[in-house]
Amino acid sequence: MIKHDVVVIGGGLAGMRAAVEAAERGADVAIVSKMHPVRSHSGAAQGGINAALGNREDDSPLNHAFDCVKGSDYLGDQDAIEAMCEDAPRQIIWLEHRGCIFSRLPDGRIAQRPFGGAGSPRTCYSADVTGLVILHTLWEQLERFKVKVYEEYFCTALCVEDGVGSGVVAYNLRNGELELVTAKAVIFATGGLGRMYAKTTNGYASTADGLGIALRAGLPLMDMEFVQFHPTSLKENGVLLSEAARGEGAYLLNADGERFMFKYAPNKGELASRDVVSRAEWTEILEGRGVEGCVLLDLRHLGREKILERLPQIRELALDATGKDAINEPIPILPGMHYAMGGIETDKNGATRIPGVYAAGETACVSVHGANRLGGNSLLETIVFGARSARHAIDHIKSNGQVRPSEKTLKSEQDRMSEMLGRSRGERAPQIRKRMNATMSKNCFIFREKTQLQQAIDDLRETREAMKSVVVMDKSKTFNTDLVGTLETQFLIDAAQCVATGALSRTESRGAQARTDYPERDDTNWLVHSLAWYTDSAPRMDYSRKVTFTKWQPEVRSY
Amino acid sequence: MAKITLDIFRFDQAVDDIPHRDKVALEIPETITVLDALEFAKAEVDGSISFRRSCRSAICGSCSMNINGVTGLACKTPCNTVLRSDGTIAIDPMPNFQPMKDLVVHMDPFWDKYTRLKPYLQPPDRDEDNPTERRVSPDDMKKLVEVANCVMCATCYALCPVVSVDPAFAGPAAIAYAYRFVEDVRDGQTKERLGQINDDYLWLCAHCYACSYCPKHVEPHDRIVDVKRRTVQESVHMNERGPRHALVVNKTIKQTGMLGETEVIQGTVGRFNIRGLLKVAPLGLRMASKGKLPPIFLRPIPKVDEVRTIFESLEVPTLK
Ligand SMILES: Cc1cc2nc3c(=O)[nH]c(=O)nc-3n(C[C@H](O)[C@H](O)[C@H](O)COP(=O)(O)OP(=O)(O)OC[C@H]3O[C@@H](n4cnc5c(N)ncnc54)[C@H](O)[C@@H]3O)c2cc1C
Ligand code: SF4
Ligand code: SF4
Ligand code: FES
Repeated sequence: MIKHDVVVIGGGLAGMRAAVEAAERGADVAIVSKMHPVRSHSGAAQGGINAALGNREDDSPLNHAFDCVKGSDYLGDQDAIEAMCEDAPRQIIWLEHRGCIFSRLPDGRIAQRPFGGAGSPRTCYSADVTGLVILHTLWEQLERFKVKVYEEYFCTALCVEDGVGSGVVAYNLRNGELELVTAKAVIFATGGLGRMYAKTTNGYASTADGLGIALRAGLPLMDMEFVQFHPTSLKENGVLLSEAARGEGAYLLNADGERFMFKYAPNKGELASRDVVSRAEWTEILEGRGVEGCVLLDLRHLGREKILERLPQIRELALDATGKDAINEPIPILPGMHYAMGGIETDKNGATRIPGVYAAGETACVSVHGANRLGGNSLLETIVFGARSARHAIDHIKSNGQVRPSEKTLKSEQDRMSEMLGRSRGERAPQIRKRMNATMSKNCFIFREKTQLQQAIDDLRETREAMKSVVVMDKSKTFNTDLVGTLETQFLIDAAQCVATGALSRTESRGAQARTDYPERDDTNWLVHSLAWYTDSAPRMDYSRKVTFTKWQPEVRSY
Repeated sequence: MAKITLDIFRFDQAVDDIPHRDKVALEIPETITVLDALEFAKAEVDGSISFRRSCRSAICGSCSMNINGVTGLACKTPCNTVLRSDGTIAIDPMPNFQPMKDLVVHMDPFWDKYTRLKPYLQPPDRDEDNPTERRVSPDDMKKLVEVANCVMCATCYALCPVVSVDPAFAGPAAIAYAYRFVEDVRDGQTKERLGQINDDYLWLCAHCYACSYCPKHVEPHDRIVDVKRRTVQESVHMNERGPRHALVVNKTIKQTGMLGETEVIQGTVGRFNIRGLLKVAPLGLRMASKGKLPPIFLRPIPKVDEVRTIFESLEVPTLK
């Protein structure tokens, strides 16, 4: 049995930031991660991280907070947003002091670029590899504090004893054994859920594991219907071309060569918030002004030098996937699934409803993004709430001395796994997953409507049934990614049901949720979070949590 | 759509003594990447084929493997660029690593090379609580960003012939990472870092350029040259063979316009290192018996001044 005071599930930015905070405070902390930490998808973040440093123009955490509130379409909890924006400059400096490689202004201070939905340029960056440099900085700190990492351990279940979190069960990929990991506090930082959709900017490992695990342990997921579609992903493989492209001045063009964004967002144009731009693109495409089902991202006028200096990775990604060089040609792009605003419900300290269980990063819903996240705020969230949840976890430990190891959860997971591996006739997970992907991409996409959503819910129920007799082809005890992929598919379906059910129940349009049958925002009935609880069939929805307001009352949201 | 056969190395450390190969015939668009082809094979044909992957956009460093004899990222290699004329692609695990299962290898020796470097910023001042950032010029940062593009995929490490004969050699990726700290104006441990990387056999690098096949353009080879140069500039480990060899080569060329091999051997081994010299003596005798012994004293070539001018303009450090 493995035993630590604090166990963090996930080695992305949120997980590592939590672990480093705990280590700096002298706690006995370990990370359990299904991949080596530097492989985490946080490394794919290109554009940047927001903080009101005011290095280019006057700025303040309060301005930043207002932009988040407005961006969230007033669904974000304003106390949590204020806390995040207040802490942001401090966290950036914290990273800088630990060696993070930020691009600089001529006077040596950290450079900042404009980003969608932001009132001033406050996105700190490192060329277009921001996520990677922060990921490396945090991994370096793990090395510095010699934090134990259980690498290539796949967490399958959360243990709860006497209503208190007591650890997790994890599958060691290298030898095929399930192990009990006992902990006084568990922090989930398992990242996104993009693989629910057919085309996504997310990597293969973004499979909603933390969400499925939390649901099954009796925790609600919050605001799951809010899924962000990024305006600029590649048609070929969904790979993202960062918002930094538009931040640096790229145009969006339709088939007529028109910069169509000014029709939809007269002031901000291409730099309107993501939900607005994605809907505009999709409208252009639906109304026949697309180019082979896409619109065009045009960087040419930026010039070779600027592209090579500030956006080299973007150019290379487009070149690899499409064969087109952004220096000479516009790149066909379309909206793709990008980010989950929803997640495991937490308070502003990362705490869930089960004492000793925390969540941070994309898998959590605090909620700071409400109905729509602004670019550059997600990296910030991982850092701020990673650290914050660790601080509160340590406080929790001080008052909770002992937990009982949960042998019964280990036993039931062992049974579940051997049953799954024992089956030899039936459908495999990749086939079931394809059906989930198809229905989500068709029926629960940018524009939503009742009959389609109902179809998605029905299809998902069918996939859930199919999973009951799923077959794992690989029976090996070494690096069994077939088994892991099957467990991931199950978690994705759990979470997808919450997305579709939440989308159907919310009869309004707000932020990323655009209902064609309910096109208006409805502040009288819907300034509430949606909570989805696990049941044996479909999730049970609950709207008892109200949005927290501090300074800003809802206004019409226009860009 | 094209008919493509993946010819895959198969091995499971728990049950197999020796590896075997499986051929998987697929019908896929030939423009998709080798990683996509493997995913397709795993989803549609054989779920037990094992490999690492995460980002599928050349940023996580998971998917390096040997593709038709060349190591590289599977997610950055379109099938049609490597397809053999018979329509097959042979896929093997990275060389220089112990296989675990199929294309998955034991990476620990690679990570250990980083750990030895103490790979974290060690500023001279403990100003971690300072409320503002340290000022760094855009150019000083830009130098680091180029190396920061490294995704730790180990492609270079797998390609390095020195690693294959001496696993103690730090390898190109770790040396490039050392460079990242050595060149960071915020770091205060330059000499200690250079000392460590010298201890990890920096000078074993044979400058073969194999590692310049880096998918992220980190050019680890050039970083190795930079680190060697810094070692000499900072006079770290000047009693070791590596830096002495470099300097004595310089010296003889500068003086005579030619490589003074006798002096280079003496200078590298150490003029007063009797035991070391005795070790190379048999070689000297063998060469003498074949009439190949280089002259002990070299006469400078006619226009040696021009050679010296080149050296001076390059400001090459000299042997003290
Ligand atoms: C292409 C792309 C570009 C982006 N660009 C930006 C940007 O410029 N600015 C911005 O603010 N945001 C950006 N985002 C969003 C942001 O990068 C992510 O939301 C954020 O990095 C998520 O971090 P995380 O730590 O929560 O999760 P991740 O980095 O995804 O890490 C998840 C970790 O959990 C582990 N894990 C998962 N499941 C399990 C399990 N069952 N058992 C054990 N371990 C598990 C994984 O191994 C991994 O280590 C971008 C996202 C994408 C996809
Ligand atoms: S230097 Fe290049 S090849 Fe080597 S590990 Fe880094 S990215 Fe990979
Ligand atoms: S140049 Fe040096 S480090 Fe690079 S592959 Fe050759 S011997 Fe190895
Ligand atoms: S899958 Fe990430 S580098 Fe290839």
